[in-house]
Amino acid sequence: MNRVKLLFFATLRERAGAKSMELDIPPDLTVQGLKDKLSAEYPNLKASMSSVLITINREYAFDEAVIPQNAELAMFPPVSGG
Amino acid sequence: MQSWQCSLPFPEVNVIARMASSGVAVSNTMNDMNFPTIFSITEDEIDLNDLLERITLDSTGAAAIFAGMVRGETRRGNAHDTEYLEYEAYIPMAEAKMKQVAEEIRAKWPVVEGIAIVQRIGKLYPKTPTVLIACTAAHRDTGVFDAAHYGIDRLKEIVPIWKKEVSPSGEFWVEGNYVPKAGE
Repeated sequence: MNRVKLLFFATLRERAGAKSMELDIPPDLTVQGLKDKLSAEYPNLKASMSSVLITINREYAFDEAVIPQNAELAMFPPVSGG
Repeated sequence: MQSWQCSLPFPEVNVIARMASSGVAVSNTMNDMNFPTIFSITEDEIDLNDLLERITLDSTGAAAIFAGMVRGETRRGNAHDTEYLEYEAYIPMAEAKMKQVAEEIRAKWPVVEGIAIVQRIGKLYPKTPTVLIACTAAHRDTGVFDAAHYGIDRLKEIVPIWKKEVSPSGEFWVEGNYVPKAGE
């Protein structure tokens, strides 16, 4: 298994009820696979998954990307700085 | 930022970030052809004079500055009052993306000399400056206004910062609508 850290921000942090979690994931899991896994395990997050942005090691990542070893992942809504 | 100190004279720009007692005060610089670039997420007050001084070179004659502040009364669209905004950021990624925005500005407007991109986070009340983008150049007709405009637009697209609006009628997260593309 691949141990990764997942950070939550803004609405995702509130729905997850946590700023971060550590996850053991299969070595070939994609971003889409991660979304599916979280939707199944955390019903509160399910509604957010269609519009959520995901980053791998602080770069934007897309559904087909495979999550590398020891990645720092983050999940958040479209940004609203300024 | 009052909490920053330059340890070396320009152009060997080297800014030391000091943690303010209130919390986060992070700064970075990069030395691109001796042009100063400042990008930071901070909980401290934005010090325009300090930032401007640090992006002004001997050859600088113009600065375009965009500042955003908390609007207490919104009249356009869904009219409402705002009590305060609460900002948060994914700080290391946000600073990396601010650096990327600065690099994009330099690629599009090579005449730009200094760039400062600063976002304040935490609980911020109406009339308080929240963000500042400043670009300097030799002259005002060099595209420097467009460069600053581009900077704030890109910050709002790709820099991971969010704000929650608190108003007399409740609170809600402001969400953007931009979906970054691969490589952004």
